[in-house]
Amino acid sequence: MASKGATVSSFVQSAPPGELSNVVEDIKALAPNEVRSLEPAFKKYNEEQYSTVKLPGSSEVVLVSSYNTLNDGRYFDTASQTSFETASNAQSYTLDSSHADTVRSLLKSFSAAATEHFPSSTVGVYPTDSDSSVAILLVANKYSPQNFWNGRWRSSYLLNPTGNSVTGAIKVDVHYYEDGNVRMSTSKKVELSGSSADGIVREIAKAENKFQEELNRAFSTLAEGSFKGLRRQLPVTRQRVEWEKIAGYRLGQDIGGGRSK
Amino acid sequence: MDPFDAALDLLRRLPPSSTQQNLNGIIALRPDLEEDLLSSVDVALTSKRCTKTGRDYLCCDYNRDDSSYRSPWSNEFEPPIEAEAAADLIPGGRIRRMEESLNAGVDVYRELYYEGGVSSAYLWALEEGFAGVVLFKKTSSAGGSAGKGGWDSIHVLEVSEAAGKRSAHYKLTSTVILDLGLSSSAVDNLELAGNLTRQTESDLALTHSGSRESDIEQSHVVNIGRMVEDMETRMRNLLQEVYFGKAKDVVGDLRSIQPLSEVGRERDAHRDVISKMGR
Repeated sequence: MASKGATVSSFVQSAPPGELSNVVEDIKALAPNEVRSLEPAFKKYNEEQYSTVKLPGSSEVVLVSSYNTLNDGRYFDTASQTSFETASNAQSYTLDSSHADTVRSLLKSFSAAATEHFPSSTVGVYPTDSDSSVAILLVANKYSPQNFWNGRWRSSYLLNPTGNSVTGAIKVDVHYYEDGNVRMSTSKKVELSGSSADGIVREIAKAENKFQEELNRAFSTLAEGSFKGLRRQLPVTRQRVEWEKIAGYRLGQDIGGGRSK
Repeated sequence: MDPFDAALDLLRRLPPSSTQQNLNGIIALRPDLEEDLLSSVDVALTSKRCTKTGRDYLCCDYNRDDSSYRSPWSNEFEPPIEAEAAADLIPGGRIRRMEESLNAGVDVYRELYYEGGVSSAYLWALEEGFAGVVLFKKTSSAGGSAGKGGWDSIHVLEVSEAAGKRSAHYKLTSTVILDLGLSSSAVDNLELAGNLTRQTESDLALTHSGSRESDIEQSHVVNIGRMVEDMETRMRNLLQEVYFGKAKDVVGDLRSIQPLSEVGRERDAHRDVISKMGR
């Protein structure tokens, strides 16, 4: 049996897009003593979900990830050259990386390309820990709690600057919860290459378009396949059941028992 | 916030594919909520084979006593329970007659709509009237790029008869748990899982000549069957809308395949045409 701390941490980890504060309220009501043990879970959630933060003293929104964390609980932003604690205490930050130029040009192209497909998104480009590659990240959120749905799109790519090859993943989460709880989650690994910042960003947009088209097709496959195969809209006879006569349906006696499929 | 409400709110937010696991987690945090949660949270149904008849039946909190379940086909608990508890929990007389007839009815209904799967109905007496649950479960075994799926429906009923038994009031709370998924090279993994709950109430006539008890019983089965059929048909449409319409729309709201500058230009052009037509 998992410890209480592990249980409430797992609730935080699996909170739907835009609903972390609701989940925390529920945890407070259920297990108030466990709330103070949640700090590591919050950090992990923020870094995995690319939580966005408004830079103190600026209108700039930046994201938080494991790629732009500094060891003292602060994060850095390459575009504004700032380091920050989540929501307070901004300081200037100088990027120390052999890929500083690549970071800058990718940031420019990727930001421009993002506005072409995402009505609202936050991007970040960071050299990774060992300076061996460059992380290109995007998060787009759309929350509509008054209509009981929330959604999040995350793109994560790692560029290997020596070979100009990129590996990455797209993840999309949607939650709908009007008198129910419906969750869509999907992920797709991506591999591509490009010889310049513009070229890489173009390939990313192409791969994301392709994924989104495939995802739309997958919805149709499920609607036309699995879903239809579970329960018919009407019986084969195209007639609703005549419950008054149901005792007389031959079928009733013929189907017998023991069918398990 | 009341802890019970907080538990329900949490289960409405966390991934529905892990409801059972999260329910166990909440109960470990708050053992005092166990009974209330088990009777109000719907989880995917399990089936068992009735040793007496060889037929499959579905298990839920309503046919459970400790770790024994009552088969609707044999009307016996498996494994057997103590005689005293059995006397309280095993329905007899009119409740059992209606239960048998309802099981026969939903069995035909199941074959017509589900073309397979398992169904069970359980009834129990209330101080006034009676209550029941009608259950269906179907899984589709195809996998991979064709997708897999599971449907569980749970219809809980409360019935109160009007004086003179000319009509009855039916209250129906229905939950469908629908779990779909596929994996292919085009989208590595797509999971669409969840549940929706809807309620309805209705006063329906009990048709009988004179006051023959068997006619009244049959009338209840017809009314319940029809209400369940209406509700399932409505919910199937709703599920289709939410799973394939809403989810897809939200993805489209997050990201547009068509470049937004083109979308903007088209909108401007469209507005231009409209304004010229208005002149």
